[in-house]
Amino acid sequence: MSITNEKLTAQPKGDVPMARPPTKRSPVINWLPLAPFFLFAAMFLFLPSISIFIGSFKSVDGGFTFDNIIALFTVKDFINAYRTSLMISAITALGGAVFGFLLAYAVVLGGLPKGLRTFMTTFSGVASNFAGVPLAFAFIATMGNNGLVTRWLESAFGFDIHAGGFTIYSVTGLSIVYMYFQFPLMVLIMAPALDGLRREWSEACANLGGTSWHYWRYIAFPILIPSLLGTTILLFGNAFGAYATAYAFSGSFINLVPILIGAQMQGDVLFNPGLGNALALGMVFIMSISMIGYVSLQRRAARWLQ
Amino acid sequence: MSSNMQDPSKKVTRRDFLKFGATVVGTSALLAACGPQATEVAANLPDLTSGNSIPLDDLIAAAKTEGELTTIALPHDWANYGEMIETFKAKYGIKVNELDPNAGSADELAAIEANKDSMGPQAPDVVDVGVGHTANAMSKGLFAKYKVAGWDSIEMKDPDGYWWAEYYGALCFEVSKPAIENSPQDWDDLLKPEYKGKVAMAGDVLKSNQSVMTVYAAGLSRAGGDKTKAAEAGLQFWKEVNDAGNFIPVIADQGTIAQGETPIVMEWDYLALANRDSLAGNPETDIVIPKTGVIAGPYAGGISAYAPHPYAARLWWEFVMSDEGQNIYLKGYAHPIRFNDMAKRGVVPADLAAKLPPAEAYANAVFLSVDELQAATTYITENWRSVVFGE
Repeated sequence: MSITNEKLTAQPKGDVPMARPPTKRSPVINWLPLAPFFLFAAMFLFLPSISIFIGSFKSVDGGFTFDNIIALFTVKDFINAYRTSLMISAITALGGAVFGFLLAYAVVLGGLPKGLRTFMTTFSGVASNFAGVPLAFAFIATMGNNGLVTRWLESAFGFDIHAGGFTIYSVTGLSIVYMYFQFPLMVLIMAPALDGLRREWSEACANLGGTSWHYWRYIAFPILIPSLLGTTILLFGNAFGAYATAYAFSGSFINLVPILIGAQMQGDVLFNPGLGNALALGMVFIMSISMIGYVSLQRRAARWLQ
Repeated sequence: MSSNMQDPSKKVTRRDFLKFGATVVGTSALLAACGPQATEVAANLPDLTSGNSIPLDDLIAAAKTEGELTTIALPHDWANYGEMIETFKAKYGIKVNELDPNAGSADELAAIEANKDSMGPQAPDVVDVGVGHTANAMSKGLFAKYKVAGWDSIEMKDPDGYWWAEYYGALCFEVSKPAIENSPQDWDDLLKPEYKGKVAMAGDVLKSNQSVMTVYAAGLSRAGGDKTKAAEAGLQFWKEVNDAGNFIPVIADQGTIAQGETPIVMEWDYLALANRDSLAGNPETDIVIPKTGVIAGPYAGGISAYAPHPYAARLWWEFVMSDEGQNIYLKGYAHPIRFNDMAKRGVVPADLAAKLPPAEAYANAVFLSVDELQAATTYITENWRSVVFGE
């Protein structure tokens, strides 16, 4: 108690200047507060990556082998899995980005009642974290063959969603499921970015005779593009690594890389952790490429902002 | 790491105590009473190397000095393991340390291997694995041999005693009654148009042995019982189920059965029967053993070659494989492997037997050898996607 009291009484000492002149500190001390971050990154990012890399060259009995890496490029199932994973991630990332951006725009700049924005951001906060088995079951229970919505459409309107050959258990269906957590994440991140667009800029543009198109093309969009790109890549990674949702939804029916990794690492049937690691290494590689692409794009986009 | 330190230290104290007890014999009446008793156990610790059944009294005494048993991958609602563990604890006063109840067979073997040099609480003493995994365990020398009392009446086992089946189930159709009017009675029925979008598996073919066997059993039915053609015929069968639109890829569990999305599920009978109990009529379910292609799924027990509590491990198996233990499996709807022997001697309670599907349904149950199982698993998992989904 005494300590806290001391602190409390010690603080408000009248007009203590807020900004202090820069003191000369040793660089070590400057870096020290970041130590927990570096430790965290080392333990949960770099070490696992290294272990994946090393594990990729391990055969089932522990020896060294290139077979796992070769399999990535030769086994048809694996190539297909990467293709499907990439496709579903790209589609839901772009879809989530466009839809989420429009929604964020509508809520922030669309002149809608203020309460709607609070509602929207709260919903987005919840929905963007709603994934895994509960999400899969939610979709099964509503839009599945025996789902609530499916049945209701049938009984109320005589509309059979399966008539046109549609089934929720397909790449399209899984994309819809992923969209449920993709677009709210976009809304969450884009809303503050849209807040950053100052009214004066559009007024200045209008004063100079610019149209709405000019404003978006030459002012707003270039400012927003780094966050747009960044969020899209985040959505891509979000979908690329999703496992529990897809597995609970349709097992290995849809051939995705994380599902294949799961089968090799923890199944009852297949067991080749080396191959699982190699598949994961492929994912790390693809994510790295997209990150590098993102960084260079962003650098170009942000050049004029500096 | 600190947890690994616990056991060695416990060992040291026991050894110290024995030494201490030996030196002070005669100096104090109290210690004298303790001393010889303790040394007696130490001197007479039963032999572990022969693998022969140890007389129960000696085994109990030896296991009690260890005081603890480490198990792995025994979910309490699976084959009634909850009651098995509780009864064992109460009967022998031995603590049971349960590691990850949801681990798979491969995880169990990995846990033995990873803890080879550790006597700590992470090292399992006993495992319960899919029979196919015994081959892997044997090649790595992970099991210790031991033949429990009544060894001869175990119908599936390793001749040298490194593993033995404890219980088996047969694949059945678990049918949700409100959704399905006429339950399918045999595999071929699953192709009927009335079951469109209604046929599900309880696991993924690439991940679960149960689902691999689902493919195999259908093939066995189609190939007229010819084991050599069953795997191929099974894939062909499921391709037809999928092409007909009858296959629904949702991984079925109690939730999806109750909700009605997966009204026909292929599952081990003991899981389906336990499901029926916990659903308690909401919805009503029908458990059907198919007329043909009845496949038995045995699980195999074994003792870790590196078990920290070797006597408790052997006591566990003596208990599980005794009539009492085997009837506990039956209570959980798993067929005890010594069922025929026990039925002959009249020690199977009639009320337990009555809760299972009729015994005739199991008469044709097919057991696969470890080699057959492995060959089928490899063929089915390698060709599943290309044949069934045409990719």
